[in-house]
Amino acid sequence: MTALSLTINGRAIGPIEVRDDLSMNDFLREVLGMTGTKFGCGAAQCLSCAVIVDEDGASSTRPTCIAPAVDFNGLTIRTVEGHAAGGALTPLQVSFIEHFAFQCGYCTPGFLNEGQVFLERLARDPIPRAELERTITEALDGHLCRCSGYVKYHEAVRAVVLADAGRYLT
Amino acid sequence: MKWSAAGGIVLSLSRFAGAQTPDFLERETLPGRGVPHPAVGRVDGVAKVTGAKLYASDFRAVDLPGWPAQTHHALLLRTPDASHVYEGLALDGLGADAKPVVIVTAEDVAKIGLRVPSFYTGDLFCPVGTTPLYLGQPVALLIFDRFDAYDRARTFLRDNPHLKFGAETGPLARPNYGAFRFTRVAGATPDAPDLYSPIQEGWISPGFVESSGRPVWQVLPDAKGADYVKGATYGTAIRDELAKPAAGTLVLDRSFATQSIDPMFLEPEAGLGFYEPGVKKLDLVLGVQSPFEAAEAIAYMLGEAMPDFKPASIDGKFCYVGGGFGGRDHTPFPLYLALAALFFPGRPVRLAHDRYQQFQGGIKRHAFKMRSQIAVDRASGTIAAFAADHVLDGGGLMNYSVSVAVVAGTGAIGMYSVPKVDVTTVAEHTRGVTAGSMRGYGTVQCLTALETLVDEVCTTLPLDPIEFRRRNALKVGGRTLTGNPYSVSVRAPEILDKLDGHPIWRNRMAEKAKARAGVLVGTGVACAAKDYGTGADCSLGTVEVDAEGRISIHSDAVEMGNGIGTALANRVAGHIGGIADQVTVAQVDVFDALGLVKSGDPYSITQAEQDKAAANPRWVPEISSATSASIGAHVGTQAASEAARVVFRFGLWPAALAIWGIPAADPRVNQWDQAFWQGETLIFSGLPPLALKAIAAKAHQQGGVTGAMTHAFSRWAWSEATFALPGGDWSADIDALAVRRGSGEFQVLDRKAVAFPPTDYNRIGTSFASMCGTTVRVEIERATGKLTIAKAYSVVECGQALVPEIVLGQAQGGFAMGVGQALLEDLPPFEEGPGNGQWNLGRYVVARASDLPLHDLEIEILPPLSPREPPKGMAEVVMIPVIPALLNAIFDATGHRFQSLPVTPQMIKGVIG
Repeated sequence: MTALSLTINGRAIGPIEVRDDLSMNDFLREVLGMTGTKFGCGAAQCLSCAVIVDEDGASSTRPTCIAPAVDFNGLTIRTVEGHAAGGALTPLQVSFIEHFAFQCGYCTPGFLNEGQVFLERLARDPIPRAELERTITEALDGHLCRCSGYVKYHEAVRAVVLADAGRYLT
Repeated sequence: MKWSAAGGIVLSLSRFAGAQTPDFLERETLPGRGVPHPAVGRVDGVAKVTGAKLYASDFRAVDLPGWPAQTHHALLLRTPDASHVYEGLALDGLGADAKPVVIVTAEDVAKIGLRVPSFYTGDLFCPVGTTPLYLGQPVALLIFDRFDAYDRARTFLRDNPHLKFGAETGPLARPNYGAFRFTRVAGATPDAPDLYSPIQEGWISPGFVESSGRPVWQVLPDAKGADYVKGATYGTAIRDELAKPAAGTLVLDRSFATQSIDPMFLEPEAGLGFYEPGVKKLDLVLGVQSPFEAAEAIAYMLGEAMPDFKPASIDGKFCYVGGGFGGRDHTPFPLYLALAALFFPGRPVRLAHDRYQQFQGGIKRHAFKMRSQIAVDRASGTIAAFAADHVLDGGGLMNYSVSVAVVAGTGAIGMYSVPKVDVTTVAEHTRGVTAGSMRGYGTVQCLTALETLVDEVCTTLPLDPIEFRRRNALKVGGRTLTGNPYSVSVRAPEILDKLDGHPIWRNRMAEKAKARAGVLVGTGVACAAKDYGTGADCSLGTVEVDAEGRISIHSDAVEMGNGIGTALANRVAGHIGGIADQVTVAQVDVFDALGLVKSGDPYSITQAEQDKAAANPRWVPEISSATSASIGAHVGTQAASEAARVVFRFGLWPAALAIWGIPAADPRVNQWDQAFWQGETLIFSGLPPLALKAIAAKAHQQGGVTGAMTHAFSRWAWSEATFALPGGDWSADIDALAVRRGSGEFQVLDRKAVAFPPTDYNRIGTSFASMCGTTVRVEIERATGKLTIAKAYSVVECGQALVPEIVLGQAQGGFAMGVGQALLEDLPPFEEGPGNGQWNLGRYVVARASDLPLHDLEIEILPPLSPREPPKGMAEVVMIPVIPALLNAIFDATGHRFQSLPVTPQMIKGVIG
């Protein structure tokens, strides 16, 4: 057992005693009741379980289904429940809705987290317009969606970038 | 909704309140009130981007009002072996901290008097001492007090053998699930009656089977049943013509095999159950496409159980589903959830598949083996005859196997008009994982075989593939394989014109000629006609307008990602102007006012029985049916649409007349169908425009109809009924109606007259179909066989697209699923397949964004033929032509025709050397 402490969506959690082999996904869903983060495959293949990890001034996503919760000890993470601060949707959330990006929506938390990380990366390190489509595909390609065919997710992310091109593009 | 089911158990179904959109304000702007473009956004959009609890897998006991807070956990153990005698559990390896507190086996369920619903015939659990019926058959249900014990056990058991097996018996043999022969011989002219057709003569099955279990299709001297002899004689004559073709006739005889695949909906099946023994109430939280069926199946299972295991009532709470694609329609999962709750009374139990378990136990697509023969007149390029023989691997339980076999058999000639057709089909029991409903439902298999065969005909004749299709396409009023015409639009010529004019097709030779070194380029085309509907489709809907003009809609359809809520809002808006402020789906507890009753089976009821039953004004052939994306628009919105028409005709229109001051004798009183809405404003020529809000206030003030609740039933045609309302009789495509006046209660109306679709419509394979065409260009690396889809175009017709963005999304998703079946996905049969419990993503490959031409995929939705053309089902048809189009493109690139799926880079490399 390990006393786990971390920050989730800006809120300090713990210390909570957890089994060393408890997955982060089960910690979120079973221990904390935060079921916005999904369980899809348990093999880090679909990434519906991915959360954002904020480290060293940068952010990245990490699957939670195969990672022990204790690996997140001391980390700061964001989940789908944390994007709409104060109830106001982020531009990416709005764009997902406006573009009908999802259908059943079960993969949406993973895509939202990945898309948000992508936008934050571009804000730090803008890219040329010509590289945008390829870069989006590379950024989101790990995420699996069985309903949508991916086109609208990509269009939704691209729309956010193009709406604030001065911020995201060179 | 409450009703009594088998054994006197009272059932009630409701949409789980916790899963609803939280408050009015969030609904107010979505899907679009006050937003210039009404379809922007989905009614469930905010909930899905904020991680709200929506799906059955999201809920725990603590989320359920009145339940104990602690959730307990159940684990379903399934067999990886169906060739040896099962000798029991071997759980000794489980540590003390991973022990279940309750173990439920076949012996336990036998003691309590369970019955297995006929749809799931077969042991719920494999009894000790017998060979399992199929791979993945459950053997035991383990229930754990604490999550940690469950978590340790599931991990240990996944990696360690835990079942004992004895002597090898080989797989169990069982009779086939069904065998049919569909034969049609047209008359001498298109208008002449058919010489023989299934709709004239009924469906036929052979009377004999070989020792292998396969049907004997030949006409034997002592064949059972004159009806089979008659049809098979015509069929045999067609076969003889194909064997000895006339001069000038091209005959091709080919075999094709399609693989089993997994629906791979992203949310594994899950649910929560709680049995309160004191009040004998069983509460269930589930996510299925068929809530009504799930509740009835559980009630039947428990209907004669011993008192401690027989609830007095079952309350089913149904949630959004995280994908379905057919795989959550009539799944046995709810039966095991109910057992988990009953064997751990007083404590909430959660049963949830992980992905390994979902692969091992979830419903699969049928693998098909097909032989197809086609005869084409070389001079005219028209199809003279077609014959096919289908063999389906149905897996361990019958499920929908017979239905899938019938759909494939009756759909085997696709979009073509063929004067002589003979198709046999048999759905077999095997030891494989149970196959059932999945998007494409038999048609994706048979049309892959047909459309690749047609392409080969075209290269052999030779004749341009689109010109060949033009010459053979079914025309409006033309008869399908069963002998009936489609009762909806038939738009093959437009689809072919679109394909013919598209740059991918027009530039195919030029693109091939300029292929880069080391790259093969090919272009393919294919078309599909796909039926939609089941022959017993139901729709329940309520529309209410309050005095502020705010609209609420309730429907029994399940939201499975197909945007049914948004489609409901848009279809209702066409009748009463406003986009709904509140839309709830999977809502089956608000239609009590209709007081519906049913009896018999809608598929097998006789005309006399139906006529007698129809005398009861509350009787309908079926109350509620399963949801599928392909009928979401056509069926799911029917009842609400008709309810909205009633509200307009008998509530809003009289209110508008009152505001305009038009007297009763004015002829314009009856011209309600000439008024129309522009946004939330009612327009009528020569009179001032009126706002919905003002009309609604007036309707409430004068006690007009401000709410309507309807039920609709379709057996390839809608039921029609007439009701007496103040202001005139009302006839519509519904069979039950209740109305609310002002802010009063709903009052049910007796039918003045009703016409249910005749029972012999059950002989129709389908009368509803949509068509789609696809052309693709592929590039293949010579060195590796790696295939890239360079460009793709699909054109689909679906009548009125209620939410064009969702139709487009369905088409894009269908394209991706088609690519997966054509090139990537594969579940081997039997011991190497998913029933062994070792399958997960990674080993099973589905299409990702990088597999698709994301920025070079063009989808065109044909506009409806008229503004009044109703919506047609399209969610299945869009994936079907993608597969043969890809195979035809691969042939164009490589010169090789593959006869099985999936086509992998290794296979391609093998033929290009």
